[in-house]
Amino acid sequence: METNLLNYLEKIDKYLKPIGAAERADIINEIKSEMQELEAKDKLSSEQIIERLGNPKELAGAYLGQSITKNDSFNLRKLCTIIIFYSLAGLGSVFVLPFTSIVGVTFMICGVIVPICGAVKLLGAIVGIDTPYIMFQFGTYTASPVMAFLLSILFGILFILAGKFFWKLTIQYIQMISSRKKKI
Amino acid sequence: MNIEDWKSQIKRGTLEFSILLMISKRSYYGYEIISELNKWQILAAKESTIYPLLRRLLKEGYLSSYWQETTEGLPPRKYYSITDTGRTYLDAMSVEWENLLTAMDGLRDG
Repeated sequence: METNLLNYLEKIDKYLKPIGAAERADIINEIKSEMQELEAKDKLSSEQIIERLGNPKELAGAYLGQSITKNDSFNLRKLCTIIIFYSLAGLGSVFVLPFTSIVGVTFMICGVIVPICGAVKLLGAIVGIDTPYIMFQFGTYTASPVMAFLLSILFGILFILAGKFFWKLTIQYIQMISSRKKKI
Repeated sequence: MNIEDWKSQIKRGTLEFSILLMISKRSYYGYEIISELNKWQILAAKESTIYPLLRRLLKEGYLSSYWQETTEGLPPRKYYSITDTGRTYLDAMSVEWENLLTAMDGLRDG
């Protein structure tokens, strides 16, 4: 069999992941058989066969659409799985998501503001304007304007990194939820 | 007005009936079903329609299937045959089909 046909079958297999392995193999074998009939009897080239079968995603989607209607019948275990899933996902949306997203954005904003403050402090000291409303203080240690500027850049970078970390966490959490949903 | 839309709706509504009618005569495999339907332009359907539909009819118990080796050097074929439930369903469909034809005739003759 030609490689583009094999690639096509591989793609179908990938898109059909939500279906059990045995059923999936049965579907793949049937499409494979159809391909070979088209090749032998209709004398179609592998390109023509692929064109006729259409986008692998759509073909797989047609099968998956069927498997959803198949699952329409009432099933207590499935209902429980769905309830547990949405309860957990709901809790996640109430606690986890607001926390990670707000913290992430806040860190990023801080990462921008802190170096600006450091620069203002340094410029003020150079020009001779006292800026007591900007202080870099750690316990009893108060940084000099030059030190404050350097520290503010360092902390700015750290805040941006922390912001990015929480942002990624938010995205990963959302992806995890949606991939779990597909598996139900 | 789009006649193609209307035709595809008719096709969608009757494919199940067409396939069950065919398979009630003898066992068919997918490629054969598609070639047979393609003889009539109004019923012509693609693989992406027929195979998932066959699968659904199988799941719902109207059809059963088995794999059979070929003698022509081709890979095994998956044959579909009708079950008793399928036959009952087909009979009910045939009754409704007659009802539809009678109704259409009635409307036309006014």
